Order: sequence, then C-alpha cells, then structure tokens
Amino acid sequence: MIDFLQNTLDGLALGSSYALLAVGFTLIFGVLRRANLSFGPAIMVGCYAAVWLSLRHAVAMPALFAAVVLGSVAAGLYVERLSFAPHRKGSAIAAMVASFALWMQLEELATLLLPQHIYPFPPLLDAGPLAFGPLVLRKEAILLMATAVAVCAGLRFLLYRTRFGVAVRALIDDPTAAELTGINVSRVFLLVFALASAIGGVAGFLIVATHEQVTPMLGMWSTLKGLLAMMLGGLGSLPGAVVGGVVLGLLEAHSQWYLGPQLRDLVAYLLLFVLLALRPPWMNTQSAS
Amino acid sequence: MLVVNDLVTSYGKIEALKGVSLEVNEGSITCLLGPNGAGKTTLMMTIAGVLKPRRGSVRFNGEEIGGLRPDRVVGRGIALVPENRLVFPSMTVLDNLHAGAYQRSDSFEADVERMFTRFPRLRERAAQQAGTLSGGEQQMLAVARALMSRPKLLLMDEPSLGLAPLVVEEIFDIIAQLHRDGTTIFLVEQNAHMALRVAKHFFLMEQGKVTFSGDPGSLAEDEVIRRAYLGSKA
Amino acid sequence: MDEYAIGVLTNIGLFSFVALSAYLLLIAGELSFGQQAFFGVGAYAAGIGTAMLGWPLPFAALAAMAAGALAAVLVALPTLRLRGLYFAMATLAAAEMARILFELFRWQVEVDGEPVGPDGSQGFRGIRWVFEQGVEPADFLAIVGLLLALVLAGFLLMERSRLGAALRAVGQDPDLAGALGLDVVRLKIAVAAGAGALAALGGALFAHHNTYIEPRNFDIMLGVHSLAYALIGGLGTAFGPLLGVLIDIGVLEASRVLHGYRMIVFGGLVALLLVFRPRGILDERLVHRLTRR
Repeated sequence: MIDFLQNTLDGLALGSSYALLAVGFTLIFGVLRRANLSFGPAIMVGCYAAVWLSLRHAVAMPALFAAVVLGSVAAGLYVERLSFAPHRKGSAIAAMVASFALWMQLEELATLLLPQHIYPFPPLLDAGPLAFGPLVLRKEAILLMATAVAVCAGLRFLLYRTRFGVAVRALIDDPTAAELTGINVSRVFLLVFALASAIGGVAGFLIVATHEQVTPMLGMWSTLKGLLAMMLGGLGSLPGAVVGGVVLGLLEAHSQWYLGPQLRDLVAYLLLFVLLALRPPWMNTQSAS
Repeated sequence: MLVVNDLVTSYGKIEALKGVSLEVNEGSITCLLGPNGAGKTTLMMTIAGVLKPRRGSVRFNGEEIGGLRPDRVVGRGIALVPENRLVFPSMTVLDNLHAGAYQRSDSFEADVERMFTRFPRLRERAAQQAGTLSGGEQQMLAVARALMSRPKLLLMDEPSLGLAPLVVEEIFDIIAQLHRDGTTIFLVEQNAHMALRVAKHFFLMEQGKVTFSGDPGSLAEDEVIRRAYLGSKA
Repeated sequence: MDEYAIGVLTNIGLFSFVALSAYLLLIAGELSFGQQAFFGVGAYAAGIGTAMLGWPLPFAALAAMAAGALAAVLVALPTLRLRGLYFAMATLAAAEMARILFELFRWQVEVDGEPVGPDGSQGFRGIRWVFEQGVEPADFLAIVGLLLALVLAGFLLMERSRLGAALRAVGQDPDLAGALGLDVVRLKIAVAAGAGALAALGGALFAHHNTYIEPRNFDIMLGVHSLAYALIGGLGTAFGPLLGVLIDIGVLEASRVLHGYRMIVFGGLVALLLVFRPRGILDERLVHRLTRR
C-alpha cells in the first residue's frame, strides 16, 4: 500500500512534467494541425544555452531559467519560420519532415557547442526531500506540480478571457472562418508557437534542474513524451493533454515498480496502440489528416 | 463602391474565374446568380482575400484590394458571411461575436447588445456552443458575427443554403432590414426567387464569367431562374 | 574501387530498401514512422536462420521477408481505419514495442562450442554466413545492387499498372477510391505486407553485411530517416527514395569535409528544399513531365 501511494506520488510529479510537455505540443498541434518533431530539440537548445552560460559565468537560477525559456522560444521560432510557415496552406507531411530535418540540425548544433555526453545542471532547491510519514516527496516535485497547475490556469485564462485567446480558439475551430473574421492567422500561429515553446522551456528547465543533468537525448525524449501524452489524452485537446500527461506519469511510475524500466516503456506504447486500435469516442480520430 | 475588373482566379491549372467584371453600388442590394460550379464562391473568396487572383483587379472605394490578406480586407470594411456559415462550433455564441469584433479597438459591447436585439434567438443562446445551434440560428450568428466588424460592404454566400422555407423568409427579411439600415449587400444565392424579391440589381454568372447584368424586371423571371439553375446552354 | 567506397555504396543500397518501404506506404497515403521495425524483424530472422539454424542466406532472406510481411500485417489489421497522424503514431508505438522486444529477446544455441544468438540489448553477434562462404565485399555489393534493381523494376512495372493507379487513388482520397469500387482494405493490407517484406529484405542483408546487429540499430531515427529519404527524393517515382538515400549517405558521408557538420548542412538543406518542393525533388509533376513522350 505504501509502495502504491509512493509510486502514485512519484507518478503525479512525473506526470506534471509530461503534462507541461503535452500542453506545449498540443498547442502547436491543435492550432496548426501538424506535429512538430522539433518541439523537444528546441527545448534542448534552451537547456544547452543555459548550460553554456553556466559554464562561463556564475549565474543564479533565475538567469538560467530565463536562458532556457528564451533559448527554447528562439529555437521554436526558427523552426516555425522554416518548417511550418512555408507549408501553412500546403502539405502537412512536408512540414513534419521539415521539422524532423531541423531536429537533426538543432541536435548536431547543440552537441557541437557542448560535445560532452552529459552536463551537470545546478540543483533547483537546496534542502532535501520532505517526508509525510512513510511517504517521501522531493521539493522539486511539489514545484513541478504547482507549476503545471499554474501554467494550466494561466493558459485557461489566456484562452477564455483574452482577445488573443478568442483568436486561438477560432483558429483551432476553423482557420478559414478565422481569417474571414479579421484574424491575422500567420501572426497568431507565430505567437502560439512562441507560447508553446516557452511552456516547453519551463518544463525543460524544471526537468533538468530536478535531475541535475542535461544530455542530448533530452530532445527526442521530450518530443516523444509530449506526443505520447497528447495522444493518450485525445489528440488536440488541451485538457486532454493534461490528463494524458498525468496518466502517462502514473502509468510509468507504477509499471517501473512492478515491471522494470524496459517493460515500463512497453506498457505505455502498448496502451497507446490499443487505444488507437479501439478508437474510443474521446479520441476523435477523424480530424488528424 | 466595389469594382471587379477582369478577375482571373485559378486552382492550379483550372481557371475558375475567367475574367469577371462587375460593379456593386453603395447602398444597394446586388445579387449574383448562377448554376453550381459557375465560380460564385470563388469570386466571393477572392474578394475576401482567401484566394489570390491571378490577374485583374478588385477596387473598393477606389483602392485596390486584390491579393490582400483576408484580415486586411476586413480592415478595409468588407465582411463575408461564408457559404455553410462556418461558425466556430466549439465557441459560444458570445465568443463568436467577439471573434467578429476582433479588429475593433473600441468597446463593442453596445454592438453585441444591438445584435441580440436584432436577433433575439441569439440572446437566448448566448452561452451555448455555436455547433449546437440549428441551421437557421447558425446563419443568423454568421451574419451577426460579420456585422460586428461594422462592414461597409456585406458579402453573403448562399445564406439560404440548407434552410427550411420559413427560416429562409426570416433570413431574407433580415437582409432587407439590413439594407434599409444602410448596409450595402452583395449576395450570392441559389434561391433566385427569393433573391430577386430583395435585390435591386443582379448579375448572372456562368462558367467563370458574368453573362448578364440588369434589374429584376429586365429579363423574364423564368428565363433568369432557368439560367440561374441550369445555365444558358441548357 | 576501394573498400570505403564499396562500404558506402552498400549502405546506400541497404537503406534504400527501408526508404522504398516507407515510400510504398506514402503513395498509398499512409504515413509510417515504423518501417524500421520490419527492417529489424528481417535482420533478426535472417540472422537466426543462417547463424543458428544453418540455413543458406537466400532461404533465410526469404524467411525474413515472410516474417516482415507477417509482422506488418499484424500491425496493419488493427489500424486499418486510422488515418494521418493517428496511423503514424500507431506505427511508432508498434515499432518502439518491437525495439523493446528486441532488447528483451534472448535465445542462444551452441554452434561449434560457442553460444550464438540474440542476446537482448547486447545484440546479436556472429552473423558470419557471408564471410564463411567467401563472399567478397564487392560481390556482396553486386548482390545488393541486383536485388535492388529487381525491386526497382517491380516498382516501375507496378507504377504503370492498374495496381499502381489504384494505390495512388487510395493515397489521394481513400473515401473516393472506395466509392469507385476499389477494395481499400485489401489494398492497404497488401501494401503493408509488401512494405514489410521489402524492409525485412533490407534488414536481412544489413545483418549479414554488418555481422552484428543490436536493437539500437532499429530505433525511431531510422524510421524517420526512411520517411525523410522518401519525401526528399520525391514521391513521383521509386527512384525518389533512392535519390534521398544517395544524397544523405552518399554525398555528405563521402565528403569528409562536412563530417562534423553533416546534419547541420543536411537538415537545413532539407527544410529549404521542402519549401520549394514539398513533394520532393522527383515529385509527381516532374516525373510526369520527364516521362511524357
């Protein structure tokens, strides 16, 4: 029982990071209807920028945070301009393959600048984990969960109580109609991309600060988790992304405990495959071509 | 007010508009009739900026707007109520109206109130998702949404499409009312009978070109209707 | 020709199989991130055949193709009604499951007193049939080339046939194709099986060229690369994917100057290329123009 609760706690923390990644990924997918394979790599560029900075100067956490988010946004905008904007009214596959090409490019760029296989990242908080009776919770985990909640609340506010939010929701519903009501679609796409990259950057910062390390695998890993969580929760819906992220975190935490790390990943993929094959109603499989 | 001159728009190699020329006068209701596939929607989408013309010009109040982005066209004072309404289904009625006012920098709450007065059924459903509205209500919402940008020229593409006869009457009453209140209206219609009752001037379009221009009395009504549905080659 | 060149050409040939596999699915309208799984199935199956069961390579390769086709059908059947990114994700999930299964797969037999066989994440060593038979690298390249030529001939024949037209119809608009009387389900299964067998053949040859395979060889990178080769080279002809592989492996690998910057250059070029040619270099329009008499 204790194990179950502990795993659930760990799963919630993990799920919070997945939820953030999924939200960022889904923002882009929901609005552009394309999968951005460079989502993770852009986050990795941000993290590498922060590492590069920390290797040269003694910088405080807020500066590193800014570096990660700004780096992610800059990389994200680069990807948007080169692989999504040109194909806006064209081929979705071309956009995705272009984003894959830039993934390769960004990854190599990062490893050229910082060639080591692994880099330390300063820890986020100093004191040790908190104990609630027999259960243990790291402070970083609490921060992660709180951040996920805050980001979701902020996003909800943005989408439902601002003019920009109206434009984004209109674009998600019907891009042609959105154009006709006077929305500058290209600009909104750009801003959504920047926002999604920023959220990804926040997630990335919290993840590498919690693990106290950065590796080049972060790029592909973040994209995969974001994609997987988005699909588990029902493609293209923001609440679904959060649910998908949390479910994925819980699933992984429990599977790892009972089955080990390899089977943990197998279970997640198996669940996704079965869900896709069964096509439950919340998965709305018609709108993703 | 609107002068279209020798407009050519193509989809790849296929020319949907083969040199369209027409004029819409300020303060009028003008109707564009023609059989399916004549290019009427293509013309509307080109004027609205969703499609880019290959050749020719579209001038609005003297200024060239051909090839402008759709949001810029809205900025100049033209709003299109598209074919099939295209309301934002997951957004509420109120949100749809807010979207229509996207470019307005002033406070538009008064306009929202005015829309609800003009379309009482929308007031009832203000918080409802637009996708759950009936066809007629969605049509009203689409019109209201377009009106929120305070357009000088209102374009309407097949407002009666898929609606029951009673609802169609209602919609055309609204169109006549809007015209009386001062909006210039250019509409595309399949329902030639209803359209000829409100329009002061009409054009007939066939196979990408304008083939007739005149007032409702200048051509026998059955001749018009025949050509509107079947084209002159029938 | 020096050994390095032979090696590069052989790699071009081997990866062309999996690129063609992705291409076949693409023209039938399916985006697959998972062809690497069948490449892997073929590699393991052929390796088991020659190194553990003592079969000659041709027989093992045929068995590998059958295994690849079967695995592909197993993935295709539950996912028949999925489209676009949903289908792509399903293939990704299936391929990752396959890779994890390769990591867990352990089966060894004794051959000449030594244990031989897949050893989980340690990989599968000792697939030495080609060397034991005294086949020189140049000969192996010739075999790969011949098989590839046969495959290409098959593709070219298919493109001109009714089957090819049917596939492209399904690729453009499956609903319309169904309404026109095409058995979309059977076509999709056939395409999946064919693509699976094709990738498996490539894998079988790959295993024997390298003599050692490990699960990491068959990860997402290979899958997305295959898709990229098909798209960059062009979707108008089977030579398209070949062109894609040639450009990546051939030109950039061979020019050692770019060695450290290969992906920076290649990635940027691909993204730029797609802006101007979203269906690849040898796209349908160009091929149509070139083949018009």
